[in-house]
Amino acid sequence: MIEPAAQTKKFQKELNAGTSSLILLSVMSRSEEPLYGYQIAKMLEESGPGVPMMKQGTLYPVLRSLEDNGLLESMVEPSVSGPPRRYYKITEEGRTTLVEWVELWKQTKKFVDAILKG
Amino acid sequence: MYKTIEAYLDALKGELKDADTALLQDALSDAREHLVTALEAARAANPAVSTEEALPSIMEEYGSPEETASAYKEIERRMSPVLKQAVKPRSALGRFFGVYADPRAWGGLLYMIIAFVTGVFYFTWAVMGVSLSVSLLIFIFGFPIALLFLLSVRGLALLEGRLVEALLGIRMPRRPLFSHQGMAWMERLKALVTDKATWMMLVYMLAKFVLGIAYFVSIVIVLSFSLAFIAIPFLQPAIQTSLPGTAFIYYNGTSHYFPTWSYPLCVLGGVLLWTIFMHIARGVSQLHGRLAKWMLVSE
Repeated sequence: MIEPAAQTKKFQKELNAGTSSLILLSVMSRSEEPLYGYQIAKMLEESGPGVPMMKQGTLYPVLRSLEDNGLLESMVEPSVSGPPRRYYKITEEGRTTLVEWVELWKQTKKFVDAILKG
Repeated sequence: MYKTIEAYLDALKGELKDADTALLQDALSDAREHLVTALEAARAANPAVSTEEALPSIMEEYGSPEETASAYKEIERRMSPVLKQAVKPRSALGRFFGVYADPRAWGGLLYMIIAFVTGVFYFTWAVMGVSLSVSLLIFIFGFPIALLFLLSVRGLALLEGRLVEALLGIRMPRRPLFSHQGMAWMERLKALVTDKATWMMLVYMLAKFVLGIAYFVSIVIVLSFSLAFIAIPFLQPAIQTSLPGTAFIYYNGTSHYFPTWSYPLCVLGGVLLWTIFMHIARGVSQLHGRLAKWMLVSE
């Protein structure tokens, strides 16, 4: 038997696994400039009200997987102080994929809401 | 809580000690970049704050090493490295020579070499199995032999699928097909014989023999030509000094020599020939992968 709190945490994690790609791709599509991880985390913090939905450390592996799938591209640039930074930028493929994902998200949201209302 | 960034990174390293080293390197560089940047930002906002005071909240927001490690492992589990897309360089020249950096080209080449061995084996096995099964069917014990042979065809098809997926990056079945568990063996034999998939697999095993030989022969021929062209500038002078009067090419009673000015062209030609062949190998092996998928995977 898992504790109720742990159940909730596990469910949150599973939800995040699906939505984080969509959220990150959407944030990246709004920026013309290449962004590095910390900036993206800050943007999420500013646009998302109140409760942090996911830990910042979990953004990075998602960014990498989006890049591996060709939806983002990245380049490493040295920074004035500290380690070099990896800048991410959305690709054309990423933009077209995002349109499909948003559509899918709307449908999913409508479906879940309809079920929850009963 | 960790007092320094290094301590956090050590803890993260500990959490990922079983993971792939490439994954570990990614995770560490991401964490270092984030924590250092966040610390700088915190200091810029409030110069009076010390590292020890700023770090706990930064690390809290970043997540514990355990959480971070599990996020990386989760993503890695969902992505198969062989299915990852190759990086596409921009220029035409970059695309042309980019084939050397494409794992699908090397995988395809390796697959085509191995296809020679597997093709010969499949062919021998199929011919032996079919003739043995058919001729022994007049006896009662011919039936179990036929059943075993047809089951072995399924097993080999699965094995071939694994090879195709590993080297060509084409998704193939990871589990054997419907296994007819709990059926009488005569029923199983009937099910196997009437299943179109079995015969497609058998045909594939025969076809692979021809294709495997063709692949292998073309690789050997093109590789020898390419290497020979690249070696001309070194071999021709070496032959002339060690064995004076011996030509590099001796044809119809006349000796032919490559003029010195053509040396760079020979090397360039050899390199181009092999590079073009790498492209062909990538294309042909991908086509072969599709053929394998079509013949070995039943709907």
